[in-house]
Amino acid sequence: MKTVLKKLASFIITVLLVTLFVFLAFELIPGDAATFRLGTNATPEALERLREELGLNRPFFVRYFTWLYSFFFGDMGQSLSYGVSVRSMLASKLPITITLTLMSFVMIVALSVPLGVLTSKYEDRMWARSLDALGQVTMSIPPFFLGIIIMYVFGMIIHAFTPGGFVSWQTDPVRFIGYMFFPSVAIALPKAAMSAKLLRTSILSERKLDYVRTAYSRGNSTMDVLYRHVLKNAIIPVITFLGMTLADTVAGSLVIEQVFSIPGFGRLLISSISNRDYPVVQSIIAIIAMIVIVINLIVDIMYRFMDPRMRERS
Amino acid sequence: MLEVTDLHIEIEDSLIPETVVEDFDIEVSAGEIVGIVGESGSGKSMSAHAIAGLLSRKDMKKRGRIVFEGEELLGMERSRLRSIQGDDIAVVFQEPMTSLNPVKTIGWQVEEALRIHRDMTDEEYKERAIQMMRDVEINEPEKRYYQYPHELSGGLRQRVMIAAALICDPKLLIADEPTTALDVTIQAQIIELLKRINSKKGTAILFISHDLGVIRTLCSRVVVMNKGRIVESGPVEQVFNAPAEEYTKQLIGAIPQFAKVAPYYDISGKKPILEVKNVSARYKKITGYFTPGARQKLTVKNASFVMYEGQIMGLVGESGSGKTTLGKTILGMLDDTSGEIVHYSRMPQMIFQDPYGSLNPAKRVGWILTEPMRIKGGSTKEEQREKAASMLELVGLDRTFMDRKTSALSGGQRQRVCIALALMQEPKLIIADEPVSALDVTVQRQVINLLVRLNKELGIAILFISHDLKVVYELCSHIIVMKSGEIVEQGTDEQIYNNPGHPYTKQLLSSAGYVKSD
Amino acid sequence: MKDLMFRIRKNPELYTGAVIAAVISFILIAGFLFSPYDPNAMSAAEKFAAPSVSHLLGCDNFGRDLFTRLCVGGVTTLFIALATVSIGVVFGTIVGAFTGYYGGAVDEVLMRFNDAVLAFPSILLALVFISVFGSGTFKVIISLGIVFVPSFARIVRGEYLRCRNLDYVRSARLMGAGDLRIMFVHILPNTFPVLLSSTVIGFNNAVLAEASMSFLGIGVQPPDSSLGRMLSDAQAFLFSEPSYAILTGCTIAVIVLGFSLLGEGLKKHA
Repeated sequence: MKTVLKKLASFIITVLLVTLFVFLAFELIPGDAATFRLGTNATPEALERLREELGLNRPFFVRYFTWLYSFFFGDMGQSLSYGVSVRSMLASKLPITITLTLMSFVMIVALSVPLGVLTSKYEDRMWARSLDALGQVTMSIPPFFLGIIIMYVFGMIIHAFTPGGFVSWQTDPVRFIGYMFFPSVAIALPKAAMSAKLLRTSILSERKLDYVRTAYSRGNSTMDVLYRHVLKNAIIPVITFLGMTLADTVAGSLVIEQVFSIPGFGRLLISSISNRDYPVVQSIIAIIAMIVIVINLIVDIMYRFMDPRMRERS
Repeated sequence: MLEVTDLHIEIEDSLIPETVVEDFDIEVSAGEIVGIVGESGSGKSMSAHAIAGLLSRKDMKKRGRIVFEGEELLGMERSRLRSIQGDDIAVVFQEPMTSLNPVKTIGWQVEEALRIHRDMTDEEYKERAIQMMRDVEINEPEKRYYQYPHELSGGLRQRVMIAAALICDPKLLIADEPTTALDVTIQAQIIELLKRINSKKGTAILFISHDLGVIRTLCSRVVVMNKGRIVESGPVEQVFNAPAEEYTKQLIGAIPQFAKVAPYYDISGKKPILEVKNVSARYKKITGYFTPGARQKLTVKNASFVMYEGQIMGLVGESGSGKTTLGKTILGMLDDTSGEIVHYSRMPQMIFQDPYGSLNPAKRVGWILTEPMRIKGGSTKEEQREKAASMLELVGLDRTFMDRKTSALSGGQRQRVCIALALMQEPKLIIADEPVSALDVTVQRQVINLLVRLNKELGIAILFISHDLKVVYELCSHIIVMKSGEIVEQGTDEQIYNNPGHPYTKQLLSSAGYVKSD
Repeated sequence: MKDLMFRIRKNPELYTGAVIAAVISFILIAGFLFSPYDPNAMSAAEKFAAPSVSHLLGCDNFGRDLFTRLCVGGVTTLFIALATVSIGVVFGTIVGAFTGYYGGAVDEVLMRFNDAVLAFPSILLALVFISVFGSGTFKVIISLGIVFVPSFARIVRGEYLRCRNLDYVRSARLMGAGDLRIMFVHILPNTFPVLLSSTVIGFNNAVLAEASMSFLGIGVQPPDSSLGRMLSDAQAFLFSEPSYAILTGCTIAVIVLGFSLLGEGLKKHA
């Protein structure tokens, strides 16, 4: 119970710190919302009036908490470039980015766990070593380059999909998923290679530990030792990695969206940074940060669930 | 029952294949307890693991014959070997913490061999496991069944290991240093337990240890190993009382024996060098910002004693008794302490237990030895190196050690360098915290002799912290006994050993096998 | 010789990585220094010229020598990564050393903050700084540099936490060594093995981060060029001239492969 409360407290503090950080970063930009809205030619009186109206003259922490409060209740302000509410702009894009992230994450897990187990089980076989080397090369390819290769091979040569032919999920859910498949692969492959390698190294190093010798001394076969003893221990560091990967995947999708012309968070974020549309940038970054923090919390809970040694440690 | 002839083990890990065991022979009859004794690197564990069929790495080549119950184990088909492992031959390992799977419950691990070798219902498995845990004197077995290894103490974990090994009623139990990681009193209990199992169930035991004392009380026959070869073997009493080989003589001679090495030191008329008055130390668990000092534990309670110049004082206790904390408190290494500590000479120096942690692994011996002079200043490089070299010679190492990396030194050499480092600062008092516990017996003997020589020749007083009553008996004329942070008794060796006043002292003495002298 | 073979077999990552990283760095730097072409000299006649003796890898969409541009872009990428990691290592080591060695409330607060910052994926964090500072080579270095400080601080802090209660540190204190001397003379060399491998791995991440940002068009700005920027240009001609994109992408991949193998080998070696 005490542990849960402590986790909760540290979760809230992290949320506050992260949002404070995001808020503070955009406070540092020269010029404020009033200048942006009225342009540089505005009279000082008009600026002052708008500042008063927008509450920009209030103390820092008041502004921060006002922003935080309205952020959590979905009021993220107005876009400077389009003049519409940020919320409505993001609402249609969030499902796209989330689909991309989740699809690639599922691929990462589905590929890396069997690969990691197989390559460590048959570590001396030629095919396992070749797979290992292939993985090493795969994880060195930047996802956006992998995206370009996939686009060229599957889009332009094989015509498995139409590059740039994004279909929104409201129009046709099946074709939407179909279009998202290739970008997901581009995000997933390098990460899956990393995760498989980590699992493999983890299994190999667990196998050297004393308890494995004990297991053999009781008459376990190599398979039994792997599945009943080693795997549960070896998967623990992989869970931490997968948590980090999920967070990275969110960021990776920002770049991949650019390659495949997918109108998700990423493209909006990049164009907003170029247009200096700060309310949009701030909101997107804050939302992604919140997603990441929640992922971290889930990983932490899973960790405790997997490792009995972590449970009592308060 | 077990007959090993001409066993050879080679490791082909590096370029030159290394022979780790050569011409190894042993015979164990049903119901017998046979010991293998040797120092680290003697190949004793390797041989035992080979017998248990645990050396399956491809780079290990084995030759010879291991016949168990008429069957040849070497080169036997894997599945047949597996049906023997855990059923007829079971193993207990040295480190009960790392030898148990951290993410599986105690119950699961105790009944695992049963699940592999016997077909029963889940209820029967559990019933047998709990019965077995009761047999090896694990308290509250029903509760322990659902606990995890990290929730148990070292002694209990070793009992769990034993219960898990015995669950299928094996004919042969291989015990690989099963008591080394445990405190003396626990050690004695585990030995008793093994004896009882042997006589009650008739399980034969192959007992591997570096501790000749333990081997002597437990085994009927013994094999002495050194550098991969058998030096001598025979009935225990014969080997111990009339060793035929030089190495065996040396090994037996090195065992601490409750025989004085340093003469009695009379403190009357001597000046005090250290006075400890009502010292307490609290151990503050390092906690987070949100739970400041959540748990405070008193680890030393109201300790008082006086040391005189040239004296060797023994400070005895088991792990967790607070003896190391008291030593650190005297040196001002801890923050949260109270009481008064009066030093009548310059700051004492300390020799630490673990020779691997006490020397900076990134530096060379010469650098480490000259560091105190560099900090102090006022000496030239040549003077510093000259003094360091002379200190090395004083502790029995030559000058060439100056340019060695500390990682290239053996445990005994490291401990000598630590002593030399202490001497560089010309102390009048050295606090030696278990300085020989991590060393092999013969090396242990050399370090003890060195300490005695330094005490005699340089008149350095030593506060000798140890769990080993035999070593303390050899060195110390005055002894302090600690338990759970308190000094329960202090006095001369005569008082402590022959007229112990506190029941705990008596318990320690009987665990160590001390017989009152006249 | 036999000894070298044995060492290579024990740690193939280290040696392959070192060779790949050295060769690619050498080619890029040599090309950057000695190429006879001006990387920005355009020539309409040579637009997408095929590889030839005069243009080793052909020309790009403006008729500029591709090999020269790859070398210049690659060196820019390497330089940004090096500068970024240096900022991260220097400040990270200082912060990590003090917080790890002293612990206490300052450590607690700083590490909370550190964890909060590490909660962001590094590219996202860099985007925050870019949007605050603006883009351009120097600003990219500063932004990424700040992003790398927390992770190095965390690694170094961990090492100091581990070392500060070791007996050799206690023994140094008994000699009368001051805190600064213990921190930077006694403990620091012991962090080198870990620090070295994480520096190489960090360098790798910096290459990837810079390439991603420049690819997105918010990193290095024209007329400066970097591999990420070139890849983004090349994507427009993917259908007609795929070799432009593939050569650029492969250069990044080879750099990353070399340094990641090297980093892993060093980690194994430590």
